[in-house]
Amino acid sequence: MKFMVDPQSIAASRKPFNPWPVAIFVCLVCLAILFLAPTIGVLLSSVKTTRAIAFGELWSIPSELYWGNYARILTNPAVHQYLINTLLVTIPATIASITLGLLGGYVFSKLPFKGGNLLFLILVSGMFFPPQVILIPLYRLFNGIGLLDTLWPIIFIHTALGIPICTLLMRNFFATVPNALREAAILEGANEWQVLTRVALPISLPAIAVLATLQFTWIWNDFLWPLIFTQSDEKRTIMLGLVNLKGQYSVAWGVQGALSLIASLPTLIVFLFFQRYFIKGMTMGAVKG
Amino acid sequence: MARLVLDKITKTFDRTQVINGIDLTIPHGEFIVFVGPSGCGKTTVLRMISGLESTTSGRILIGDKDVTYVEPSKRKVAMVFQSYALFPHMTTAENIGFSLRLAKKPKEEIKRRVAEVAQILRIEPLLTRKPAQLSGGQRQRVAIGRSIIRNPEIFLFDEPLSNLDAALRIQMRLEIARLHKRLGATLVYVTHDQTEAMTLANRIVVFNTGRIEQAGTPMELYDNPANLFVAGFIGSPAMNFIPSQLTHAGGKVVVKAGSVAITVEKELARTDAKEIILGIRPEHLAPSSPSDKDFVARVEIVEELGAESLVYLHNNFMTDPITMRSDPSIRFKPGEEVPIKINRAKMHLFAKDGALL
Repeated sequence: MKFMVDPQSIAASRKPFNPWPVAIFVCLVCLAILFLAPTIGVLLSSVKTTRAIAFGELWSIPSELYWGNYARILTNPAVHQYLINTLLVTIPATIASITLGLLGGYVFSKLPFKGGNLLFLILVSGMFFPPQVILIPLYRLFNGIGLLDTLWPIIFIHTALGIPICTLLMRNFFATVPNALREAAILEGANEWQVLTRVALPISLPAIAVLATLQFTWIWNDFLWPLIFTQSDEKRTIMLGLVNLKGQYSVAWGVQGALSLIASLPTLIVFLFFQRYFIKGMTMGAVKG
Repeated sequence: MARLVLDKITKTFDRTQVINGIDLTIPHGEFIVFVGPSGCGKTTVLRMISGLESTTSGRILIGDKDVTYVEPSKRKVAMVFQSYALFPHMTTAENIGFSLRLAKKPKEEIKRRVAEVAQILRIEPLLTRKPAQLSGGQRQRVAIGRSIIRNPEIFLFDEPLSNLDAALRIQMRLEIARLHKRLGATLVYVTHDQTEAMTLANRIVVFNTGRIEQAGTPMELYDNPANLFVAGFIGSPAMNFIPSQLTHAGGKVVVKAGSVAITVEKELARTDAKEIILGIRPEHLAPSSPSDKDFVARVEIVEELGAESLVYLHNNFMTDPITMRSDPSIRFKPGEEVPIKINRAKMHLFAKDGALL
């Protein structure tokens, strides 16, 4: 017997056209273009001469790549100093804020004490203070102790401002680590420090990787605090250097574009480095299941 | 010799007393099982023995040493957790040897002892794997391995088999029994599975609301439950409880339930109670001849389990069905009226407050 297909039933089984996925896709593409356009603009300007840009050819694809802007940046000793300064601020502040957040998060999550929740709330509320509110008191403080025009205030402030978010994220992460792991380690003879360093820390690498990327990017890209606390060119960080590079009478778009891209490279490298730790299921197999 | 003594220990959480003065002596080498319903305090007592939970009052002695305020790692106890609690970033070998590494033992010694433990538990091929690459039973073996490498005086097992499937549970049960025989150490085992308790234990301790209801060998608890709670908790299917009256006739004590009247032949501790509960295990009911019957019941459901049948009987003196364990060769039909005889020697009589009469 032949298997008969009823064309009407096929037509009936077809789903009616749903315009929403298409609309959402179009919106997302538009947003992506809007988001990427400045980066593409900077990339294009960095490989063009100032003359070409001045003629209004910013968005055109260059017929010939001009690497002079990069050469100027890479041979400029001031840029080297900006990069070194930024690293001197970013690396210690990132490490310090994450270390303190890690310790705080561990205590708040695994070693509850009376008033701990209130203290945690107070600590986290630090995230909601706009920097402008604390700017003048901090300026007076660091002026008083003679640390103006050094990198120390920026390191201290970024460490302090990073603690709430680092503590919050680490506390929430440690809350997902089963208590039985800590108890098992304690019964095996570990003290609290060993529980943290030998059990909790290796398990929390994905959370630390996320935090490190966030903190590094945030501190690296900061403009406000270096602007307030540094005056001399030798103490400026890369974001201020970017502004300093504009010419006296005209804006050197090409040079600035090249420096912008170079300045964003470290954050990209940090992201790529930590990306391998962004894996789910590090605790899989620790407990039942 | 690692005798374990719990001397009037209590535990209070936020003004709520959860452990109400536990007194228990566990001789060296005993396999003791704590059973009881959820929230009865059995795991809390285990955690108090381990030191993970502080003791509000009372003393805990291991050997002759008072360890009530001693750190968990210094008590010479090892614990196997319900959730295994393996360190996910470490291999099997690293998990097992963790305590030795913390104690800064030489690498060669760690390697040798890990290999010994792996051989005992037959997990040599798994030593380089991480917990995520192991099955439930393998993880449980690794967790046991981690506990035995330290040669503890007391092993604490907190519902170690509850996450395993039925077949694996039976296999692991046997392995734990073998391991106990081989190591000869004191073993405290918490479970809510009474088959595990009955098959593994030298002695069972029944907990309820933070107190010990009864402690004894599995058969002592089964044959002579000290109260209604133990009678109902030990045994599967559970003991039948029939609301009855205690009367006196012609100098004899008679139990009456509906039209049933049974003369009690044994000595009772108390005969003053009027409203009582008659407890009878399902295997102590049997079909009988009509002339010899104690009562007639209607068959409601028959569960044929192969080696035995469970017959649920509807009767005129209680609303819940009575369970009877029967030989599978005897066929019962639902709706059939069956004459039933009670084994008088196996009757248990309880007062309304649950105390044994």
